[in-house]
Amino acid sequence: MTLRKQLFAAPEMDDAISRMASSIANAFPGENTVCALVGIHQLGVPLAERLRDALANLTGRTPEFGKLDISMYRDDIGNRNPLPLIRETEIAFDVNDRIIILVDDVLSSGRTIRAALDALTDYGRPRMIRLAVLVDRGEPEYPIRADFVGFNLSLPADRKVSVSFGDGNSSGGIYEVDWKK
Amino acid sequence: MQWTRKDLLSLYDLSAEEIEFILDTAAEFKKVSERRVKKVPALRGKTVVNLFVEPSTRTRVSFELAEQRLSADIVNMQAQSSSLLKGETLLDTVRNIEALQVDLVVMRHSAPGAQAFIARNLKCGVVNAGDGAHSHPTQALLDIFTMREKKGRVAGLNVAIIGDILHSRVARSNIWGLLKLGAKVTIGGPATLVPREFEDIGVRVCHNLREAVEKADVVNLLRIQHERQTAGFFPSIGEYARFFGINHDTLKYMKPDALIMHPGPINRGVELTGDVADGEQSVILEQVTNGLAIRMAVLYLVAGCVKK
Repeated sequence: MTLRKQLFAAPEMDDAISRMASSIANAFPGENTVCALVGIHQLGVPLAERLRDALANLTGRTPEFGKLDISMYRDDIGNRNPLPLIRETEIAFDVNDRIIILVDDVLSSGRTIRAALDALTDYGRPRMIRLAVLVDRGEPEYPIRADFVGFNLSLPADRKVSVSFGDGNSSGGIYEVDWKK
Repeated sequence: MQWTRKDLLSLYDLSAEEIEFILDTAAEFKKVSERRVKKVPALRGKTVVNLFVEPSTRTRVSFELAEQRLSADIVNMQAQSSSLLKGETLLDTVRNIEALQVDLVVMRHSAPGAQAFIARNLKCGVVNAGDGAHSHPTQALLDIFTMREKKGRVAGLNVAIIGDILHSRVARSNIWGLLKLGAKVTIGGPATLVPREFEDIGVRVCHNLREAVEKADVVNLLRIQHERQTAGFFPSIGEYARFFGINHDTLKYMKPDALIMHPGPINRGVELTGDVADGEQSVILEQVTNGLAIRMAVLYLVAGCVKK
C-alpha cells in the first residue's frame, strides 16, 4: 500500500495557477502573441491548458499552444523498461524567434526538462525558453531552475509528489506519496 | 499497456494490443521525418548490426535510415562478405557479433525460424527483416499502418491479397496481423500459388480476380518473382497478367476508393499496369514512407527492452 497525503486541495491549486498566469503576463507584457505555451506529457499538458485559459482571460489574447512528448529524447532508454506509449507531440506553430514557456507539473531531477530542451530545439531556434511548474521540489540534479512556480516543496527524496487535475469523481489536488510503503 | 519484448520475430506472436501499440508509436515517429531536424537521440550510444544473409536492397536501406534517424551506430554485414561463406555456423557468427557489445541485430535469412533461433540464444534484441517464406513483420506492419491511416480503421476492412501467396512471407505476416485486428482477408491468384489450406485460419480463398477484389477496401498486390520460384506454377507471365493483373478495366468493377498497395519492387505490366501504379488509388510510395516510421518505432521499442 502506498501512503497518499493531500498537501493542497483543488481551490489552492487553482489560485496558484492564476498567480502563475499573472506572473507570465507581467513578465511578457504585450507579447502574448509571440509567446507560446508547450506542455510536457503527461500532466504538463492539462496544466498548460489551464495556464492558456487563464492568460486568455487576463489579456484577451490566447497564446499559441503545443504538446511535447520527450520519450525519444530520454537518456535512459534500455535502463528502465518496459516502455510506455509515446504520446502525441503537436507543435503546429513556428518556434523560431518565439518566446516559449515549457510547462510541467513537477520539477524534480530536471532530467525531463533537459530532454524537453533538446526536443524543442529540434523544431527550431526559439528566442527564449522559460520554465513554468506547478511544484518545484527545489533540489534538481541538473542545473535547471523554474521561472514560474506554483508551490515550492521540500520533501525527502523517497517521497513522490503526485498532481491530479481531477476528473468526474474528484476535484483534484497535490499529494505526497510514499512509494516505499 | 507497456512494451516488454526485446525481439520482433513474427506478428503471430503479438496480441492485437501490441500491434496497435507499434502502430501508435510509429505515428509519432512518422512526424520526426517531417521535421526540419529528421533525427532523434533515442538510440544514441546503441549499436545495431544489419545482418542480411539473403540479399535485400529496399528493406536494408529502410532499416539503415531508420537506425540513423534514431542516432544508432550501424554495422552492415552481407552474406557475400561474411564468414558464413567460410563455413562458420550462423550461431557462431552472431555470437561473435554479440561479443562486440552490439545491442540489436536486424536480420534477414532464407531459413524460416533463423531469427527466432538466434533470439533464443542471444541477450541482444533481434528484429526479423524476413525469414524465408515465413514472416516479414515490419512489411506487414507498414501495410497495416497505411491502411489504418487511409481508411481510419482496420477492423471490418475487406483486404484482398493477390499473387504468389504460397512463397510469400509478406502475405503470411499480413494475414496474421490483419486477422488479429479484425479485418476480413481474401487471398487470390492462380490455384497453384493460392492454397485452399488458408481457409482453415479464416481466410477467404479465390482463384478468380474479380471475385477476390470486387468488394475489397484494400488490394495488396504481391510481386511475381518470375526470375525464381514461380517457374512452372503458371504457363506464362503474359497469362498471369491477363488473369490476375490490375488494369484500367479491373478498376471499373472495384470499389472506387479501394487502395492499391504493393510491397515493391513492382513489375509494371504484370501485377498491375503503369497507370494503376501511378493512379489516384495507389499508395505504393506512401508505404515506403511509412516503412521508415514503422522501423523506427520497432527498433525504439525493442531497444528499450534489451537487458544490459
